[in-house]
Amino acid sequence: MANRIVVDNVEAGYGTVQVLHGVSVTVEAGETVVLLGSNGNGKSTLINCIMGIVRPKAGAIYLEADGERFDLVGRTPAQIVDLGITLVPEGRRLFPALTVEENLMLGAFRKEARARIEQNLETCFEAFPPLRERKTQQAGSMSGGEQQMLAIGRALMSEPKVLLIDEPSVGLAPILVSRVIAKIRELKERRDLTVLMAEQNFNQAIKIADRGYIIVHGEIAFEGKSAADLQDNDMVKQYYLGV
Amino acid sequence: MFSIDLLSNALVAGLLLGGFYAAVALGLSIVFGQLDIVNIAHPAFVILGSYVVYMTNTALGWDPVLAGVLFTPLFFALGVAVYRIYYAGFERTGRESLAGLAFFFGIMFILEVVIILIYGVDYRLVEAAYIGQTLRIGIIDLPYRMLVPFITAMAMTGGIAFYLSRTFTGRAILAVSQDRLALELMGANPIRIKSLAFGIGLATAAVAGALLIIIGPVEPSFGRLYIGRVFAIVILGGMGSIKGTLLAALLIGVSESFVQTFVGPSWADAVAFSVLLLTLVVRPQGLYGRL
Repeated sequence: MANRIVVDNVEAGYGTVQVLHGVSVTVEAGETVVLLGSNGNGKSTLINCIMGIVRPKAGAIYLEADGERFDLVGRTPAQIVDLGITLVPEGRRLFPALTVEENLMLGAFRKEARARIEQNLETCFEAFPPLRERKTQQAGSMSGGEQQMLAIGRALMSEPKVLLIDEPSVGLAPILVSRVIAKIRELKERRDLTVLMAEQNFNQAIKIADRGYIIVHGEIAFEGKSAADLQDNDMVKQYYLGV
Repeated sequence: MFSIDLLSNALVAGLLLGGFYAAVALGLSIVFGQLDIVNIAHPAFVILGSYVVYMTNTALGWDPVLAGVLFTPLFFALGVAVYRIYYAGFERTGRESLAGLAFFFGIMFILEVVIILIYGVDYRLVEAAYIGQTLRIGIIDLPYRMLVPFITAMAMTGGIAFYLSRTFTGRAILAVSQDRLALELMGANPIRIKSLAFGIGLATAAVAGALLIIIGPVEPSFGRLYIGRVFAIVILGGMGSIKGTLLAALLIGVSESFVQTFVGPSWADAVAFSVLLLTLVVRPQGLYGRL
């Protein structure tokens, strides 16, 4: 179960505005890699490129799974989900008028996930007990923290090998942010996931990172070989702690 | 003038009528309520359903309900094709609101003209052993030409509600208009899901058409009478709720029946809109509306 994501020299943007300038990022199997950067530096664009939502103008993105290489550029998001890559999107993007349970069941839409619905549903409810209590409640009527739990739970229902998480802290109270981050680590270990997380909350993200990249103006400004590496770096201080 | 006899018969007749309205509105409840596609040609497709049932009934002697059910695959395929054209021509380019409306208006007229060219403008009706007979329970009259459509409509509505809430593709239909991209991130193809939903919407029109022509004779432009009524039912029930559509249909059926019995038949057609206007003021999201 070796699943490695490679982003190689990707250029991407929207219309005439170029956002990413030759970005290369690697996520090795079983790692938690964080993509750090403040708003508007290209974190989400990079995640969206991997997921097939934004098509890169140049460069390659591929998944290496069990010795096989799958090019992701040119595939639709649905096809990429079928390869075992799932995104917890920025802003959660739940189906607000559907119930918690219906949202979770939709997470298990892809064929490979359907066989393990019962176990995965149980895992979700164990990890996030409020979801069990609110099973029949409309997703849109829950609090921000509960919605983020549901977004993560829904993504796990698809039985992913690689989990992409875009800005899980947005719109959450600080106490909830650390709770959600801790939960991501717990689930990652339990499910043997490979995780790439884009986050602007440096102090929280660093808690679960094996490694990380700092992205500034669409370029990788620094590559930290370890969490400590990221923490001691001057650039980090300049961009995150010094501001 | 006012008696328990009259009252209970008006109530029962209204429920039977309302059940049939649910069958006509069901397809629109999916297509308009779930997909936000303003298919004003839906009643015209119901009339098309009536005519294909009429054709097999007169030529081959098929039972009208059976014929309606047998035509569902064909109507499903027709629905998928119509949606693909609508998508390629309007939805993909974001011109669906006005140009899309004109598209369905055009389809409505084409369907009417095609039927007129083949069958003319006269009223047509079907034959079956039970049409014309009445089941009498105590003081209640249950004419089979109303009872058979009611039972069929209930079965179809229940089946669709079950399908939407219990299957993977059904739930995807409920989700597709709420967040298309999010649905894609679940591994579903939104265009395929919408085609499927539109196909199912039109498949119900085949059955609804059969029920319509069992209840009474049908002529090619008969569907126009139903445009306002079915939209009123879907909005009254709440966009995207099958349960709401069913309840609204029964409510309008009963209201029409009461008005017809106690006020006068000419007022009955105004009922649907009056109820709709009242709903929009008191409860704009409808009986079971989504957020």
